[in-house]
Amino acid sequence: MKRKLCTLGFLTLALVALTLGSAWAETIRIGLMCPLTGSWASEGQDMKQIVELLAAETNKAGGVNGNQIEIVIEDDGGDPRQAALAATRLTTKEISAVIGTYGSSVTEASQNIYAESGILQVATGSTAIRLSEKGLPLFFRTCPRDDEQGMVAAKTLGDLGFAKIAILHDNTSYAKGLADEAKSLLEAQGKTIAFYDALTPGERDYNAILTKLKSAAPDVIFFTGYYPEAGMLLRQKMEMGWNVPMLGGDATNNPDLVKIAGNQAAEGYMFLSPPVPADLDTPEAKAFMEAYQAAYGSAPGSVWAVLAGDAYRVIVEAIAQTKETSGEKLAAYLQKEMKDFSGLTGKISFNEKGDRVGDLYRVYKVDAAGAFVLQP
Amino acid sequence: MEEFFQQLTNGLAVGGIYALIALGYTMVYGVLKLINFAHGDLFTIGAYLGLTLLVSMGLFDKIGPLPAVILLAVMVMILVAIIGAILERVAYRPLRQSPRLSAVVSALGASIFFQNAIMAIYSPKFLVYPHDILPKAAVTIFGLDIPVMRIIMFLTSLVLMAALYFFIQKTKIGTAIRAAAIDQGAAKLMGINVDRVIMLVFCIGPALGGAAGLMVGLYYGQINFSMGWMFGLKAFTAAILGGIGNIPGAMVGGLLLGVIEALGAAYISIAWKDAIAFCVLILILIVRPTGLLGERVAEKV
Repeated sequence: MKRKLCTLGFLTLALVALTLGSAWAETIRIGLMCPLTGSWASEGQDMKQIVELLAAETNKAGGVNGNQIEIVIEDDGGDPRQAALAATRLTTKEISAVIGTYGSSVTEASQNIYAESGILQVATGSTAIRLSEKGLPLFFRTCPRDDEQGMVAAKTLGDLGFAKIAILHDNTSYAKGLADEAKSLLEAQGKTIAFYDALTPGERDYNAILTKLKSAAPDVIFFTGYYPEAGMLLRQKMEMGWNVPMLGGDATNNPDLVKIAGNQAAEGYMFLSPPVPADLDTPEAKAFMEAYQAAYGSAPGSVWAVLAGDAYRVIVEAIAQTKETSGEKLAAYLQKEMKDFSGLTGKISFNEKGDRVGDLYRVYKVDAAGAFVLQP
Repeated sequence: MEEFFQQLTNGLAVGGIYALIALGYTMVYGVLKLINFAHGDLFTIGAYLGLTLLVSMGLFDKIGPLPAVILLAVMVMILVAIIGAILERVAYRPLRQSPRLSAVVSALGASIFFQNAIMAIYSPKFLVYPHDILPKAAVTIFGLDIPVMRIIMFLTSLVLMAALYFFIQKTKIGTAIRAAAIDQGAAKLMGINVDRVIMLVFCIGPALGGAAGLMVGLYYGQINFSMGWMFGLKAFTAAILGGIGNIPGAMVGGLLLGVIEALGAAYISIAWKDAIAFCVLILILIVRPTGLLGERVAEKV
């Protein structure tokens, strides 16, 4: 009797598993790797909310080719080691593509893991040049590359009429790469580089550096580091009574910059960045922003999280058009056939390396109230 | 030449902070021969407590800037002193008779605990002291523009250091602290309550560190949970530079380290600023292994 019961139980279990298995086969699973913890947690939370919102919309509209979308989320903690583990876990969960992640070094740790499993990867905030120079055919990104920002920086500085330029970075690979790129382009334009050096991030007192910068008497300071240091520089520059204009890279695009510097010191500060979410002007973006506002009660914090939404949309578009879920087929579609797809952050096409084509950078200026104003 | 003096004032301002924190390291080392790695985090706690008290009590509106700063400093120093005493009671006293390495590991653990506790309580974001609570004016001295706040900050650290020096040298309790530093056993035989002396040391050191944290918060404005690590490392270096265990040494070492950094940044390279400072440290230690003011003490057998 006992044995019979056992067999019956086993059979029932097997039946349930089979039914569930066939149910799973009808959903398309897309992975999302993002920093839900760690110092970039706010970015990761936004990425998660955006992708989940978009997936819910897709599913409400009947899914892709009649299949429902399921988002599988793993936390990379903003840390390369944790990212490698997260990537390994995702590859075992039958995903057809993965979105993410934010930091370049974190993405780099996961690239080969997805490549070996034949999974399409669309990164969202990783701008380091080397990521797409490895010849990985399944790697794409919806964000621009650092060298493009360098070009925009050189052009902007030239257009604003500055001749004597001071460049300051913070020795991180991102900031130094951008500084080097801008330096060589500016020198090719015949500009004078009056100053080129690095500060130590995480310090509080940058007066020694500012004093030295002042003695070089530049027309403008181009700072390629992150917002905490940019805020301190602006604040201490004002306390010194020195009124030189300052331009920053996209890592200074954070509202905390103004909090740290104070409105008075931040006024007039300019930075390069992809458009902030509020300035996205495509109809898709407007509809998305309204839906996001309705679902979560606030606007997404930065454009990097919105780029995760674009990564989701290009993946779904590729699945819808090719009716396939294998990495190679999707990659071939993204590379060769997707032209000027209307994304949340503008038109999206990819080149043969998987980088996004087209200029995304804008110039922003901080106004007297501390708001970021898009410059025409 | 003007730039030289400007950089000198930059260096002295940072050096004053280093010196205040270094005092905590040096006092604890002097008495217990223990490097209190959690000291940098007590400094951070001072900065955060200062912000909390400042915002929640609204002192600046009620009693004006100067009394508010003094009252705030007193409250922060008392609170951080209490935390320091608890730290000693919980993390160090049970290990008093254990090998010295155990205490060092306990100190590292306390440091990690504090850092994560601050992060969990206050969030990992950068927090900012309110702007415009302190005067932003600058005075011109010998053709140099120096912010008033920086002068006040430097003078405050000098006053605190001087007060500590006289307390240690001239009072009865100070004598007890010095006695315990030289030989705990003999001090006990002379009727000194060594446990109480150690507790006191763990109140004074953190109180000064907390005051330094408050000063950094008030003057530089921006604080975050990991700031203690950088300042702690520099202050520890300053304590070694001046001769660890020696109180005037910590003051000299702190100011000197600040000036070396500023001048190194100005005349050699900003990116190499820290490397230059540490090269100077190594050179000094080669010539004077006990630090600038450290005395050669016969090893206890």
